[in-house]
Amino acid sequence: MLVGLGAVVSLTLGACAAPAPDGARSEFADWNDVIRAAQGQTVKLWMYGGDTQGNAYIDDVLAPAVAAEGVTLERVPVTDTSDALNRVLSELQAGRTDDGTVDLVWVNGDNFRTGKEAGAWLCDWTNLMPNLALTAPDDPLLLKDFGTPVDGCEAPWNKAQFTFVYNSDVIADPPTTLAGVLAWAEAHPGRFSYPAPPDFTGSVFTREVLYSVSGGYENVPATFDQDAYDQLTPKLFERLRDLAPSLWRAGSTYPANEQELNQLYADRQIDLTMTYGPATLTDLVASGTYPPGTKVLSLEEGTVGNASFLSIPANAASSAGAMVVANVALSAGQQLAKAHPATWGQFTVLDPNELTPDDRARFDALPSSPVVPSYDVLSRSANPELAAAWVPVLDEGWRTTVLAGR
Amino acid sequence: MVLPALVPAVFVVAGGVGAAAMQSLGLMPLVGPVRFSADAYTGQAEDLFRALGLSLAIAAVSTVIAAVFGVGTALLIVGGRWCGRILAATSAATVTIPHLIGAATVGLLLADSGVLARVLGVPPELWPSLVGGPWWLAVVAEYAWKESAFIALIVAGTLITRVARFDEAAALLGATRWMRFRFVMLPLALPALAISSTIAFVYTLGSYEVAWLLGRTYPEPLAVMALRLFNSVSLTARPEAAAAAVLTTLVSFLVVGACFWALRKTALWR
Amino acid sequence: MTGLDLRRPGDPGSTLTLAHGRGRLLRVLSTTLVASWFLLPFAPLALWAFANQWSFPSTLPTEWGFDGLSSAIAQGALPALGTSLLLSLVVAALATPLGALAARALTFGTVPWPRTVSIALLAPIALPPFAAVLGLNVLLLRAHIPPEAGLVLVLVVMAVPYTTFTMRVAYAAHDIHYEEEARTLGASRWNILWRVHIPLVAPALSRAAFLAFLVGWSDYVVTVVVGGGEVVTLPLVTASMAAGIGNDSAVAILSLSAIVPPLALLALAGFAGRRPRTGAVQKTPNVGERP
Repeated sequence: MLVGLGAVVSLTLGACAAPAPDGARSEFADWNDVIRAAQGQTVKLWMYGGDTQGNAYIDDVLAPAVAAEGVTLERVPVTDTSDALNRVLSELQAGRTDDGTVDLVWVNGDNFRTGKEAGAWLCDWTNLMPNLALTAPDDPLLLKDFGTPVDGCEAPWNKAQFTFVYNSDVIADPPTTLAGVLAWAEAHPGRFSYPAPPDFTGSVFTREVLYSVSGGYENVPATFDQDAYDQLTPKLFERLRDLAPSLWRAGSTYPANEQELNQLYADRQIDLTMTYGPATLTDLVASGTYPPGTKVLSLEEGTVGNASFLSIPANAASSAGAMVVANVALSAGQQLAKAHPATWGQFTVLDPNELTPDDRARFDALPSSPVVPSYDVLSRSANPELAAAWVPVLDEGWRTTVLAGR
Repeated sequence: MVLPALVPAVFVVAGGVGAAAMQSLGLMPLVGPVRFSADAYTGQAEDLFRALGLSLAIAAVSTVIAAVFGVGTALLIVGGRWCGRILAATSAATVTIPHLIGAATVGLLLADSGVLARVLGVPPELWPSLVGGPWWLAVVAEYAWKESAFIALIVAGTLITRVARFDEAAALLGATRWMRFRFVMLPLALPALAISSTIAFVYTLGSYEVAWLLGRTYPEPLAVMALRLFNSVSLTARPEAAAAAVLTTLVSFLVVGACFWALRKTALWR
Repeated sequence: MTGLDLRRPGDPGSTLTLAHGRGRLLRVLSTTLVASWFLLPFAPLALWAFANQWSFPSTLPTEWGFDGLSSAIAQGALPALGTSLLLSLVVAALATPLGALAARALTFGTVPWPRTVSIALLAPIALPPFAAVLGLNVLLLRAHIPPEAGLVLVLVVMAVPYTTFTMRVAYAAHDIHYEEEARTLGASRWNILWRVHIPLVAPALSRAAFLAFLVGWSDYVVTVVVGGGEVVTLPLVTASMAAGIGNDSAVAILSLSAIVPPLALLALAGFAGRRPRTGAVQKTPNVGERP
């Protein structure tokens, strides 16, 4: 017993140091170094495991391709991306700075920001990748992730657009603006809802409503500013409080996340839903999970779009192998395979102008999905994202004003 | 001889609680300087108490239902030949299911558009809000279901080894069915019932998956609150998560301590 | 039991205490009710597992088939099943002897401060798993304990209360004179252990091992946090699939495959327990499983 206590005390007392907040820098001089170091490494890719098409793409398409480069790719399925970041942060907290168990993470904006604040990502490595040249150097979606500068701390992977989805068998004459969506919800009580922030999708939805009630994104300063918050948000929260009685279950509760919301849509309990991953729609309609009349709703004022990225933790044991995986994932061949609706249907991050004419022709020849329009159509008049500093304040405001304030 | 079991147990319990307490007091920060503070408790005291109340309520209600069903099942197991064997098998099967999977299947059964609603032909608007509803009914049902099987097996085990011959003697002496239950079965089953109910109560209090899958977003039980804060995108929420964990642990130990104290008092424990 | 079995006083189902007439009907009725209370939640699994398509609001699946099965296999159900089995068997193999050693020492009074020690061994029951791993994970990482070893360590500790308790009950009814007699007859320590001691406590040992197996088998939170992605078990795959949408039939298949192995073990143990043993005269009630 004393032995155990002694060990505990000595461990905890030594465990107080926090990681340095500036993150680690890649040490490789050029790509050949990376390739050499990567040989024989096993890369653990942590990603959301609820998307069967995505899982199958990794296991059946990407993994064999990286195996040809001498790297083994293993997928670790998690229920939420924050599980992966949490693991990294715990390892760093414990002073494990070079033998981490997470090598690569499919990361979204808010997890990227949290990790960057904590110095959890490896930085300055994406320029080493030969395939980064296939992306447009000035693409705003690839320079900032959710308002956080990318700074070479993550490699672009997919583009996505925040998308409203509706059942055209029920809604013959769909609304064309977000204000119209809210009005439709009030005219059809119980047939609409949105996930409770801080869920990623619910959080985006409240920001879209903020744009809408403020008269467009132009009127909301992108950088956070308390005066703007005090001036703009009363209208936002008032609108959402007024909306609440017309929501599913009269707004007495909200779906906890995008999956729960979309389950309601699949069960025909609501007729209008939203997603940040329109790629999955094709398959969900084909499998009969979603109603056959499912269509994408395009809004006149547009919606926000973003890119999702692959990040390497600062303490990854196989960082070279992870770079090889990120580079292969960014190749024209992989981006093309991934964009096929029958494989996964994820929009490419590559710039058509940087591709060879052959590759460009292959991208143009991709079959279109019966449900999801092409990226060009979806992202027309795309709205910019607010700076990350807005997000926690808006989420907390929603929790105290709209959720608990009833 | 006890050391091989004792050392790891002490390491896990003392280490787990100790490190959680240190995190909650700001002594093991993710980022920033080490600074002792009780903000994680005082800053969210109201939320903590609301979550604690909800957790205790869910655990209490489901444990009471589980105890009633469990004792009933145990009596049937002990009393009948075929009936007993069937129930012993079904409750043993129920006990082996991981709670996560139990929650998933109860969700499939009881959701607004679940199997029950489909089979009965009730439209979702008219179906009572069991999953994610204001009374946490699906959560309570899952715990009551799983824990009643657990209590049944523990109680039946005790009754079979210790009680049956007293029951026979009482029957020979002309005791009625009710008298045998009240004066023979119940007193002798009580220690096992108390222990198994306490284990079920504490388990419910500290478990996360079921309330997370079948509960609603607000208010939330302690375990869900702790894990939400632990996974939060804000780096400063970890002490708050640890505070919720420490509170849950304290309450658990208090409940278990109270149970054993009461058992010793009643002298039913040999 | 067949008619050939000898009945002893105290066996369940004695004719003295058996119900008759209306009471019997009541008993059959309540048995049916209680059995359906236990079995009803299994129904959706059986339906969803073989539903290729089950759009709302159809009463039954609109298309039957094995899509769920192939999807579950494609998502890595088989390696996860293997990992789960291995992990649970390792936990059982460690927690059972540890619990038995501790229980024997406690029962036969060779331990200083027996009350404190018993409390320390039972304490993990009252420790919420999420609270334990929240703090413990940093310590394990700091001590450079590999994730697999850390996971086994925590799960064994979580299982030890159950094995210790089961074995204490067994040793309380254990007659140590058999061993003393064997010793006076000149048996070696090894012989006494294998030929006398273990056969006498074998039913309790198998019960304890089963409980420890279940602790490993059902765990989710500890595997997620401490396992660090090195250990992908069945509950992990199930949870990550359940977090997605349109995966109901794969989730049902995964759930069924999480139910079958422990049931098979249970049936096996029940079978073995019913066989008459030479020497061992203990009965095997299904005591004490994990909540």
